[in-house]
Amino acid sequence: MDITFRDKELGPVWAKVQKGERLSLEDGLILYRTPDIIGLGKMAHTVQKSRSGDGVYFVLNQKIEHTNICVLSCKFCDFAVKKGAAGAYEMTARDVLDRLTPDIKEVHITGGMPADWPWERYLDLVESVHRTLPDADVKAFTAVEIDFFHKKFRMSIEEVLRQLKAAGVRTMPGGGAEVFSERVRKQLFNQKIGAKGWLEVHRTAHRLGIPTNSTMLYGHIETIEERLQHMMKLRELQDETGGFLTFIPLAFQPGATGIKPSHRHTSAIDDLKTIAVSRLMLDNFPHIKAYWVMLTEEVAGVALNFGADDMDGTVGGEKIAHDAGAISPMSLKKDQIIRIIRAAGKIPVERDVYYNPLHLHAERVIGKIPYLNSIAFHAHLHVPGYKVLPVKPRRMGMLSEKGMIDAGLFSVMNYVEQAEQLEPIGYGLATRDQVKSVMLFSKEGWRDLDGKRIGIIDDTATSVRLLRVLLEKKYGITARFERLHGGVNDHSGLDAVLLIGDEALRHQKTGLAGFDLIYDLASEWYEWQKLPFVFAVWAAKRSLPAESKAQITRALEASLEKSNEDLAGIAGASGRRLGLTEMETVEYLTGFNYRLGEREWEAITRFAGMVRELEQPEGQVPERNDLPGSRM
Amino acid sequence: MTLEQVFQKIRKQERMTREEGLALLQRGDLLDLAEAANEVRFRINPDPRVTFVIDTNPNYTNVCTIDCIFCAFYRHPGESGEYTHSVDDLIAKFKEAAARGVTTVLLQGGVNPALPLSYYLELVERTVREVPSIHPHFFSTSEVLGMAEVSGFSVPEVLAQLWDAGLRTLPGGGAEILSDRVKRKISSRKGTSADWLHVMREAHRIGYKSTATMMYGHLEQDEDIIDHLEVVRALQDEYHGFTAFVPWSFKPGNTPLEKIIPHYATPTRYLQILALSRLYLDNVPHIQASWFSEGKKVGQIALHFGADDFGGTLQEENVHAAANFVNTTDTEECIRMIHDAGFEAAQRNTVYEILNVYPPPAEAA
Repeated sequence: MDITFRDKELGPVWAKVQKGERLSLEDGLILYRTPDIIGLGKMAHTVQKSRSGDGVYFVLNQKIEHTNICVLSCKFCDFAVKKGAAGAYEMTARDVLDRLTPDIKEVHITGGMPADWPWERYLDLVESVHRTLPDADVKAFTAVEIDFFHKKFRMSIEEVLRQLKAAGVRTMPGGGAEVFSERVRKQLFNQKIGAKGWLEVHRTAHRLGIPTNSTMLYGHIETIEERLQHMMKLRELQDETGGFLTFIPLAFQPGATGIKPSHRHTSAIDDLKTIAVSRLMLDNFPHIKAYWVMLTEEVAGVALNFGADDMDGTVGGEKIAHDAGAISPMSLKKDQIIRIIRAAGKIPVERDVYYNPLHLHAERVIGKIPYLNSIAFHAHLHVPGYKVLPVKPRRMGMLSEKGMIDAGLFSVMNYVEQAEQLEPIGYGLATRDQVKSVMLFSKEGWRDLDGKRIGIIDDTATSVRLLRVLLEKKYGITARFERLHGGVNDHSGLDAVLLIGDEALRHQKTGLAGFDLIYDLASEWYEWQKLPFVFAVWAAKRSLPAESKAQITRALEASLEKSNEDLAGIAGASGRRLGLTEMETVEYLTGFNYRLGEREWEAITRFAGMVRELEQPEGQVPERNDLPGSRM
Repeated sequence: MTLEQVFQKIRKQERMTREEGLALLQRGDLLDLAEAANEVRFRINPDPRVTFVIDTNPNYTNVCTIDCIFCAFYRHPGESGEYTHSVDDLIAKFKEAAARGVTTVLLQGGVNPALPLSYYLELVERTVREVPSIHPHFFSTSEVLGMAEVSGFSVPEVLAQLWDAGLRTLPGGGAEILSDRVKRKISSRKGTSADWLHVMREAHRIGYKSTATMMYGHLEQDEDIIDHLEVVRALQDEYHGFTAFVPWSFKPGNTPLEKIIPHYATPTRYLQILALSRLYLDNVPHIQASWFSEGKKVGQIALHFGADDFGGTLQEENVHAAANFVNTTDTEECIRMIHDAGFEAAQRNTVYEILNVYPPPAEAA
């Protein structure tokens, strides 16, 4: 993508980004110091679109601050008070439950740190929410609170996190990071854990399968270098664990804290730069959040074209007005968030705590699989009037069931199950021989997996069935499948793990600790059936006008043709992020066949038939010979 | 036509058609618009400088008989809360403003049929004489039309008398959206688009300078916005009397329209329209960012979307305030906002002559 930079210094940095090279501190300084906000924004927006397409995520969430009593006294905090002070409050589990409504998907719990709460009170708080609202997930306690529990209750950080996870904590917020600088810490919050402590808590959480957020408080006394160093430390840990879901730059609110003599808010330009720079620096972060509570709704809305793909959520701090008989502020706020996201030209994607899409508030959406293996379809795909959303295969199937996807590359089993609504348009994702992106990482050989526990990546709708077909029909054994959640997982206790897409590719290269055997499921299928395996099928809603289907088909053909001219060019950068050389990337991609012919349809029919036999009677697979499109 | 073709035309400094403008507004990527708008902004105003004026925006009367449904400011004659200031009171107010460093008074009011033409003429004449450091930037087109109606003189005659009294510039308000389809719905008695253009054309013919405004975000459609830009550009080709174009979004608070339009338009929409204005109005020298009507943060961002002027410091303002939309600033903050956005700040007068330059501090991040 060409950008005309007013600031010529941005050119070389952009060249690095396009090649998938990591940016240095010096690059970051060039970005931060540029007067060319629009050039910077376009760079970040291009990267944003390559990650999230046109999607912007939000969640129906409720923030719970269970108490404002705190033993610390940080200079920048207006919230905390001492016990017995005017305005001090403590909520019981009952008080917390009273604040929650059934539509909430994420309960965000964080608060002050009182001297006299017993450990059980925290566990009880989490458990009651978890028990009472099964559809909601708990995101709870910052690293600072975890460290407080560790010291106060004399348990290791790991033990604290284990018990919280068992009580129902799913993810952790990213607060308390402030700015990773000893200089700043000594001046502003010397009672809080520093960078090392914060990162250690998050590292431990990731190891235990608790994904977390990350933050940076900016706009007080920190320097630009300190901001960039902060981002780079997060980037390092993300390389190690992959456990961060999102990065949230928090604009400092001067309020009455007295840190800044001038009581100034950050400028909008600084806000947008920080969003854009973080999108470019944090090349291994899935999401960048425009937290409207701090930025204002106005700037957050603009930030959706400057690198941010995450609007946080409804936050739901308006319970008081609700009690007073106001029309639901929750849904009002939801409407407003949807309105802001739409105005930015984006798809409002309602999500769960792991960023799985639950509901799209948009029309005319094309779903793309966000894996390297289908990049040739998307690299040059442009269908006027349609927006594009990357969605992992199984989730695409779920959205399609709700009628929210007009066309997309569907996991083959989702296509088979929804064949009455979906019409194939000739393309798909099939193997030639090896595929390398559906891998079983195992501690045991195939025949020793009988009765064992296998973790299944959340993304898959078809590979999980392929695994079952192989286990039961090829090897004559059965295993217990356990669905992993999105984000990092704790694999302890499992005997094998099924990964697909980029996750499989990454670990095929690095290995998955503790799982020494690696099986390629498509190879297993091919050796057995002497047929290619078809993972996914391009299909459009049958109800779509013929002209739209033709338009999408033409766009796919054009994109494929253009992509094939320069596979290294379109895929090199993505491959590099997964640890592949350019040659390995090209070799991997040429292992796929994108056009479905007779042998591919034969393979689909045979596979679907086997699945149907295994899943009787509840399977909804159509008869072997009347799969719509199988004539093709 | 593809958008890329439109952007290429802009690069070649060719004039955009209505269809091309509409395509940019409806399909253009926000930052593609910004990139092109910046190119044009720096072609027309090459300095990395943003101007502002120290002004105040009082009102001489809130009595009005026009009943625009987007307005929360007016009162009917005899209604409680109505007021009309005397010329003496206003002159005293202007003197106070001048003492605070104000150089421009943007004076507007309701269309009050009880006021004779002599009131307006006296006001201009005494301002010029008694408060010489103040530039009178008085009376929107609706008021000029009202004076013509009350006095029986024609619009050119009223304008000539005001000119002789010392008036040299007119504010550009009252344009709303220059589409009769929309104007009939929101301000049926305020005159047609043709009326606004007539007053402006006659004024520019005499030698007046004025701004042109546009209020969007109510009942208009995209096509109406393009119509508006088109007629402004066409009139500007005749006399080059417009100094600046000022778009702003409708504020629904306390207005009858609030029931239909509960929200004001998003900042993204504002930035799109601002950038499009810069691109479409190739013959208008300045585009004004409105920190006042869009908020300070969005005002700053707008300086990167084609605007080269930050409007006024607006020491007094009552019309937006009546719609519960309040922003205030002072000269110091205004300069700092411009610096923080990455530009040199310069104080200007009403006709865009530079009075003072404030370079950015050495270590501005």
